[in-house]
Amino acid sequence: MTMKMTRRTMLQGAVAGAATLATLRATTADASGYGGTLRVGLSYEIDTMNVYSTGYLGDAQATIVEGLVAPNDKADYVPVLALEVPTLENGGIVLSDDKKTMTVTYKLRPGVTWHDGKPFTSADVKYTWEAVKDPAFIAESKDGTADIDSIETPDDLTAICHYNKVSPDFKSTLFTFGIMPKHLLEGTDLNTSSYNQTPVGTGPFMATEFQQGQYVVCKRNPNYWDKAANGDQLPYLDEIIFYMLPDTNTMITQLKSGEIDMIVRTPYNQAAQIAMIPGMEIIKGPLLSWQHVDFNFRNPLLADLAVRQAFAHTIDRSVLIKAQGGFPEAIKSVVVPVFALYDDTTPSYDLDPAKAAKILDDAGYTMGGDGVRAKGGQRLSFKFVVSAGLSDDENVQQIIMAQMKAVGIELVPDNQAGVAYREARYKGNYDLIYGRWITSADPVYSVFYGTDGPNNGQAYSNPKLDAVFDTLEHSLDPAVRKQSSSEMQHIIAEDLPTIPLTTNVAVIAKVKKLMNFVPNPTNMTNFVHTAEWYMEG
Amino acid sequence: MSLTFLIKRLAGAIPLLLGISLILFAIIHLAPGGPTDVYADNPSVSPEALQQIITRFGLDKPVPEQYLLWLKAMVTGDWGLSIRTGRGVLGEILARLGPTLQLGGMAMGISLIVALPLGTYCAARRGSRLDTALTFLSFAGISLPVFWSALLLQLVFSVWLGILPSAGMKSIGDGSLIDRLQHLAMPVTVLSLATIASWSRYIRSGMVDVLAQDYIRTAYAKGRREWGVVIAHALRNAMIPAVTVIAIDFVTIISGAVITETVFAWPGIGRLFVESMNGRDYPMLMGLMMMGSFGVVMANIIADIIYAALDPRIRHG
Repeated sequence: MTMKMTRRTMLQGAVAGAATLATLRATTADASGYGGTLRVGLSYEIDTMNVYSTGYLGDAQATIVEGLVAPNDKADYVPVLALEVPTLENGGIVLSDDKKTMTVTYKLRPGVTWHDGKPFTSADVKYTWEAVKDPAFIAESKDGTADIDSIETPDDLTAICHYNKVSPDFKSTLFTFGIMPKHLLEGTDLNTSSYNQTPVGTGPFMATEFQQGQYVVCKRNPNYWDKAANGDQLPYLDEIIFYMLPDTNTMITQLKSGEIDMIVRTPYNQAAQIAMIPGMEIIKGPLLSWQHVDFNFRNPLLADLAVRQAFAHTIDRSVLIKAQGGFPEAIKSVVVPVFALYDDTTPSYDLDPAKAAKILDDAGYTMGGDGVRAKGGQRLSFKFVVSAGLSDDENVQQIIMAQMKAVGIELVPDNQAGVAYREARYKGNYDLIYGRWITSADPVYSVFYGTDGPNNGQAYSNPKLDAVFDTLEHSLDPAVRKQSSSEMQHIIAEDLPTIPLTTNVAVIAKVKKLMNFVPNPTNMTNFVHTAEWYMEG
Repeated sequence: MSLTFLIKRLAGAIPLLLGISLILFAIIHLAPGGPTDVYADNPSVSPEALQQIITRFGLDKPVPEQYLLWLKAMVTGDWGLSIRTGRGVLGEILARLGPTLQLGGMAMGISLIVALPLGTYCAARRGSRLDTALTFLSFAGISLPVFWSALLLQLVFSVWLGILPSAGMKSIGDGSLIDRLQHLAMPVTVLSLATIASWSRYIRSGMVDVLAQDYIRTAYAKGRREWGVVIAHALRNAMIPAVTVIAIDFVTIISGAVITETVFAWPGIGRLFVESMNGRDYPMLMGLMMMGSFGVVMANIIADIIYAALDPRIRHG
């Protein structure tokens, strides 16, 4: 990978608290240690090892299967199996004359072999697109496949993708998640293939054993294509084992008893306890997710901007953060500050309940005898949905309810568990909903706030915003994108369909002797670049 | 007890299972949310891909039609495909049944071996200090939450002493008998504790009733020693109420011990059920629940047969 060799401090500005992070190329001269096993605890049960059909993030998969490009620790795309990330400047992307479609050319890395020794070629790239696009293949992550009309493979190391539109987020799913081996899979049924248990990839580790509900063993790939800066053949580790441990307490017990070395999603309330375990350390990294309160515009009272502004002036983020162990960070824009497109001039609402009360007074909502404001017999009382069973979310709900009560707005909890919560969010069975979105490194915000956005359950519609989305999501020009992204952030902040509250940090617990670990905030997981990890001593 | 009885009972189970399947199907479809809601948080999921999944699994058809399709397939032995993993339901269930039977079977065996003498002894020495102590311990065992005793054992044997693995079914690259037994030790203990406590109570109370019967006095009058009376005359009769409980507990064991399996990361049926419920994996849920229902029906038939074997006065015909 060609990544900058300097040490960088993480994320300018808002994501405070996180330690300085080295870039992926952190190998120092004393990186002596080949060998060793890293044992990782996963909090979920891997359903399938196929990156396109798993319902989870592909933590284990990321050590085995590689894409053409991948997001790094700053959510910037870097080349993996491609030699460079295609852009307009380097000629990798060419727009059609009418600027309506584009052609993306990937130059592939020579000398890469699959785990079975066969060469990796452009035919595999073309096959991956065809296989994922095939309606017979049951998979969720098919985003982007329909945007490609055809793929040309003039030689073994060139793949030319003809897009039927201009799609700036072309990198985020297809070809980033991973390339599949044509010579093994062509003509087989991908739904039932053994590839779904022990995938064959090009990555630093090879899947050797998959035990349903128990563990995955990933052994060192001795023929990996990458070398460290000092010339060492990568990877360093002998193997990485992923254990599926659905119970959080058991995971903590295993860290204490030394049966596992690392967990990537430490519950905030257990972090302090884990930091006390000898030889363990806690690392904080950013996450591409944010918590927010959304309003349902089907409710005429919430369609009134004054009411939404009252919320914005009243909710005290600092209390919410305190209730979550001090880990989340306050935000004001739906674009989390990790991203280059984040606009720091996005307006924020000062915390001022008196001002909120005045706005409501001016809008004609008068305080009733029961402490709840009303206008024309309509009480400001709303059904407030959060995900039942998530203690952090339920605590936040209680705090917001208390804060809003003070200005005369009543919130009645109507919590839903698991998929029921998600259904409510999709279909808009709420007045207010608290939750979080997690995005890829190239988020498309129209899915949340566009009039026809599939995740827009709140019936929010703003033609002006839709027009901005249209520009933003069909332009490759960085200046245009920066400009419209900024417009988008301003419109959302002023129109308030949602109040962005906090962004999360990932709390990773690992043994101190694991070196070169760099947290990755994206949906490609922390395991997207394991080749240079090594165990000290 | 005759063959006709057995055939009659088995035939009677068919409409019962049909009725159960109808109710189960209705209930899981009434639960809010559906299989595709799992992906609501995932930004790489396109609406088209969700539509493909919905069409593929027939989720767009009316529920009664879905039920008939499921029933038709089930009768021909096709349990369908899991929506969550894309693999066959029957295969997945069988893969999980092994570990569950290992854990559950061992826990049941140990429970029976311990509970039987314990309950019998307590009844024979009713009111003694040992009986009082064991009664107290039994209630403690029944009241002790499984997750708590599991955590406690893990703390002592894995963290402090470091002699037992805290979770999992086997070590990677091992899988010898010793290794497997080491992994079994704690989950089996946890499961057995609660079962021993409850079974010994049933056996004790059954025995207390029987020991007050006239024929027991007669047996003593014949000059038999106490343990001869208890074991040869009383035990068979005292077992009848306990058989009902044990038969039903056997079914809960094949349905998986959800908490124990989760805490000890045991790849059994219980965890599969929870995962499937969270994902609203309808074909998998139906498969699991039908297996459980079939188990209950069979356990009842077996219990009836055992009644007859224990007490010749009970005649099925």
